[in-house]
Amino acid sequence: MGVDRRAVIGLIAGGAVGTMFTPVLWKTTSSIALWSQNWGWIPRIPKGERKYAYTTSKLCPSGGGLKVLTVDGLPVTAAGNPAHPLSMGGVSALGLSECYMLYSPARVKKPMLKAGTAFKEITWDEALSLFADKLKAAKGKVAAVSGDQSGTANEVVSALLAKLGCADKFFLMPSEAQAAGKAWQMMGGHGLVGYDLANADTVLALGADLFESSGATLLNARSYSAQRSTLEKPAAKLIYVGSQRTTTAYASRKWVPCLPGQEAAVALGLAALLIKGGAASDASDFADFKAFVTANYTPEKVEALTGIKAAALEKMAKKLAEAKKPLVVAGSEFGQGAGCSAYMAALAVNILLKRINVPGGVYAAPEFPKVLDGALSRPQMYAGDLVKYLTSVAGGKTPAPDLLITYDANPAFGLPQAPAMAKALESAGFKVAFASFMDETAAQADLVLPASLPMERYDDVVSPYGAPFAVYSLVRPLLKKPVHDTRAACDVLLAAAAKAGLALGADSFDKVLKAKVATIAKAGGFVAGKDISVSAVLAGKDAPAFTGDLWKPLMEGAAYVVASPVKQDGLSLGAKTLAAALKADAAKAEDGVIALTVAYKARSGSPAVGIPAQDLTAVRDNELEGHMTVAKLNAATAKMLKVEAGDKLKLTGPAGAITVGVALSESVMTGVLAVPMGFGHTAFDDFSKNKGQNVLAVMTATEEPATGASSWSGSKVKIAKI
Amino acid sequence: MFIVGLVGALVVGWWGFPQLLYSQNSQPIRFSHKVHMESAGMECKQCHTYAASGQYVGLPATEACGECHADETGGTSDSDKEIDKLVKTYVQPNKPIPWLSYQFQPDNVFFAHTAHTGFECKTCHPDVANMDNPPVQYTDRLSTYSKQTMRMPGCERCHAELGVSNACYVCHK
Repeated sequence: MGVDRRAVIGLIAGGAVGTMFTPVLWKTTSSIALWSQNWGWIPRIPKGERKYAYTTSKLCPSGGGLKVLTVDGLPVTAAGNPAHPLSMGGVSALGLSECYMLYSPARVKKPMLKAGTAFKEITWDEALSLFADKLKAAKGKVAAVSGDQSGTANEVVSALLAKLGCADKFFLMPSEAQAAGKAWQMMGGHGLVGYDLANADTVLALGADLFESSGATLLNARSYSAQRSTLEKPAAKLIYVGSQRTTTAYASRKWVPCLPGQEAAVALGLAALLIKGGAASDASDFADFKAFVTANYTPEKVEALTGIKAAALEKMAKKLAEAKKPLVVAGSEFGQGAGCSAYMAALAVNILLKRINVPGGVYAAPEFPKVLDGALSRPQMYAGDLVKYLTSVAGGKTPAPDLLITYDANPAFGLPQAPAMAKALESAGFKVAFASFMDETAAQADLVLPASLPMERYDDVVSPYGAPFAVYSLVRPLLKKPVHDTRAACDVLLAAAAKAGLALGADSFDKVLKAKVATIAKAGGFVAGKDISVSAVLAGKDAPAFTGDLWKPLMEGAAYVVASPVKQDGLSLGAKTLAAALKADAAKAEDGVIALTVAYKARSGSPAVGIPAQDLTAVRDNELEGHMTVAKLNAATAKMLKVEAGDKLKLTGPAGAITVGVALSESVMTGVLAVPMGFGHTAFDDFSKNKGQNVLAVMTATEEPATGASSWSGSKVKIAKI
Repeated sequence: MFIVGLVGALVVGWWGFPQLLYSQNSQPIRFSHKVHMESAGMECKQCHTYAASGQYVGLPATEACGECHADETGGTSDSDKEIDKLVKTYVQPNKPIPWLSYQFQPDNVFFAHTAHTGFECKTCHPDVANMDNPPVQYTDRLSTYSKQTMRMPGCERCHAELGVSNACYVCHK
């Protein structure tokens, strides 16, 4: 039988019809549809035993509890711990990144020693011996910078410096905690400053971005949320005063535009109006304070300084006076650089309103006792001013240290006038960086000691700034061993100190923490949980004191709380200091110079961690366009400067210049340029490196008269259109 | 010839095509659910637990197997050899066992077992509890899903029949 054309057509037709009655077409289509969704660049949750583990966030300054999902013992993602009083189920972008950062390609995997311009890997034994030798040789000429804002690790670092005779060379990376703490001390306050937002009925945020950078941000957000129920009138009012619509401004009932760095003037203007309305205080300097603010901070003068209309200021003062539980919180829109005067002035307003140590007011939380001999207390740590010190080193007025230790800190990137600060750091004789990532500071160090990340080590969070109660939480290793050949920095410090003959009384950091926990367990506090609301305790409800082994609940993610405020005696209004610190005259406008503000978002990372990879997709075109940072200004400012959206501007400060793109946005007040923070890294990984420009490079740090604190939130820059 | 083409296509479509599309895979260890249920008296939830959220917690970690199978048996039976393979390859070096899942939903599906406890396991899963040998696992070479992974129409049909919401957010959070 021959195969003719007709037979072939019949075969094809039969095959086609037959195929229609098989799963070939339908199944292939379905499989292709599913295959098209298998995007290789999206991380997949690995298969394996899933469990939840509890710890505390160390990367996020607000110190919230974390509920971490582990698969076969490896942390994969995190949520907030609902039972932790500082998170109540909330998690920040930085806290969330703790899991992902473990596996970052930018991690330092081995101890590294600088050889010429490159690094070579060395063993831990070699690194420890070298570090111990350097400690011995540099006795009396050592400085240390810590990026830890609240932990017992600072006791280890400062106790080591005390052994070396350099206790005054311990520095914290600048923060609101430091500035507010110093201000409180200068006013004669005792304890740590905190704000009870949960029980306040009117909150005035003066530059304090309560939900992004200021204080206990997660607690602030949960308190805000608890006061607002759907279809019900909010239980509290929130007013935001600042130069741009921050996260807090968007959540506020009212945004009052105010020039950056002028928060103190607003507070003093309010104080003057409140005093005029009958407010008074028992403070010994009340008469001086009254005379000072009445003469210098009339609504008209405040308007000239801040841009706030006299009527708006009067309205705010009226709202505060009428409120039953008002609260004023000062800050910087990017969490640093506001100097001490803004906090002092805001605290003075709270004193006038009689809002100290009362529900919904400013609470002075007790400080937990130290456990290491020679370690500095929190107020003593606040005394060192890193920016001032490095400026002095850069100017040749103070000799550079023979040995510089940086601990979880990236001062080469994260300080104002960054290029000048990096140069000052570079002049140190030998630089040791405890770093988890190859950041800017590690890159210029001589010895890089790879530090385990929080989920790989024991650590703690002790009363973060802004919490209206003393609170202690443990950070614990969730992995059986670190991802790389890293060690807990404090363990290395203790071992090196012992090797150098400077033993600090403990051979491992977990023993220091156990001693700390045993000490604080006697403070009469309680373990917070779902059944015990801390805000209810602050409002007057009793809480049973904890008895037993405190280590156990803390290891399970609980927090230990002492909610009894520290009694104040002899609190002043800071009249003398404020009078000396502040210029009551408005600065004259200069051509080509504009006020600079910084737009801060936690999702853009911190100097210590860079941009968390999981947040890259959340960076918008009006923050970063290609490799250029985009500055925002409103239409009126654009008209004034004769620039348009899409233009490029060169911004020049005393230590350097950056080029930024321009975007128009009415979220910034007239006369102000807002530049996002967190970009312009020259180190880290592909996700952070060479992405945009570092706005801190063009900021101007000045020393605030009388308080001596460095301040840069009121920076101005020269601008030129390119 | 039409008939030849028709029959050929039917044979290829119903027999040849599945052979081509699905790879046939065996579990790394010949695990007998039947022995563990009947002889060891274990219950499903001892190894297959739920998280507080209702999500399936996953397969047990190697340590869980090691609780009973810490040491090699040294026996010569097939079962003993299989146990020794487990101990030597996975338990002692504490390596995760690469179990093959018969039904593993992608990450964008939120499936709460606790909401489906009214059904018997075997309504959706192979009845492994009564099996001495684990069944062959088929993986779609194209989509990489297992053959028995429940597809969205299957979920939607059951929801519709039982009057349960089929809104997107019910399964996709």
